[in-house]
Amino acid sequence: MNTAVHAWLGLSARLVVGGVWLVAGSLKITDAAGSVEAVRAFELLPADLVRPVGLALPVVEIALGLALVLGVLTRLSAALSALFLVAFIVALASVWSRGIAIDCGCFGGSDDASGASAAYPVEVVRNLALLAASMYVALLRRTRWALDSVLFGAHDRVPASEKEVDVEVQS
Amino acid sequence: MSKSKAESRAEKAARIKAEQARRERNRRLASIGGVIAAMVLIVGGAIAFNVWNDNRRQAELESAAEAETGEFSFLYGSADAPNTVVIYEDFLCGHCATLKGASGAGLTEQADAGNVLLDYRPVAFLQGSDNALNAFKAVLETDHEAAKEFQEALYADQANGPWSDEELVALAVASGVEAEEVRADIEGNTYADWVAAATQSARDARVQGTPTILLNGRVFSDGRSWEEIGRNLVSAVSTAD
Repeated sequence: MNTAVHAWLGLSARLVVGGVWLVAGSLKITDAAGSVEAVRAFELLPADLVRPVGLALPVVEIALGLALVLGVLTRLSAALSALFLVAFIVALASVWSRGIAIDCGCFGGSDDASGASAAYPVEVVRNLALLAASMYVALLRRTRWALDSVLFGAHDRVPASEKEVDVEVQS
Repeated sequence: MSKSKAESRAEKAARIKAEQARRERNRRLASIGGVIAAMVLIVGGAIAFNVWNDNRRQAELESAAEAETGEFSFLYGSADAPNTVVIYEDFLCGHCATLKGASGAGLTEQADAGNVLLDYRPVAFLQGSDNALNAFKAVLETDHEAAKEFQEALYADQANGPWSDEELVALAVASGVEAEEVRADIEGNTYADWVAAATQSARDARVQGTPTILLNGRVFSDGRSWEEIGRNLVSAVSTAD
């Protein structure tokens, strides 16, 4: 596919995934107790880790979202985003298989929710789509309107012969 | 001679070019490192602030919960008991029902044995909890022992909540009071002001959600699930401190 098309697709993938992270993080950051309970609801972490993770997660989500939307350290952020999504998918699959009915708490607020098990497939599919988009961004060398090109502008000053390769998908 | 001179010039040019490329790469790596360091600092700082903020909230909750007058408490057990457990709970909150299932009987047993004073502070955070809490207050005003039964009956029947007045009266009767003793108060929502004040008092104490447990004045949330927290709470009060 045309490199320019990839660059634009990369931008949209960045905005979608980054936007989801931003929303997920900001809905939780004002409700510390809710965020901690959302983590506890998965019954995966040792008791002592539940609170630190619950308090750290919204911050990390917002940071990832900002980095992706602005295009700062884009490829690293996209790789981290993919990593987190894999962890969430595993966590969802785990509660699902253990038959625990919870609201995933993905966007804050979690309590035993009847009908939650019906939502698991939807949540897993949504996370898989976000995972694919993250991996796509991580594989692109360059996307449109990324702050990276301002911060690390030198990268653009490569010899003309390499220019073509520079925007190619690296896979 | 001139050939080798040309060669060395070409070598020199290549060397300079390589040197430039190396410096360029180092500069790039340094700026990437700088941005990564800045992001780690920002994220780390924000996490530290978040933890500090929640610690402060818990500390405020602990002192505010301690200062409560008992006006909104349902006390069970001996005031001389070596342990005190405060539980802010909502009759419609799922985690509260899980906690009750895992700890209710054990806590009552320990309270009866004189090991713990239970200080339940029911609130109406959730939609539809207020009439259950009004009914609870009505039962509590009538018969303290029946209130314990009624509390457990509500959690056991949570799947059917929120309850109608008729259902609340029936549950109250099953818990050991006469229908006439509570019907008027349940239907007339007699304790609406108390319900609102109890809920507001918990909010003012910075209770963010239910259940919130304090063991001997400290927030207690030791467990990977509410079931485990309940079991741990019972064993914590079983060993008199």
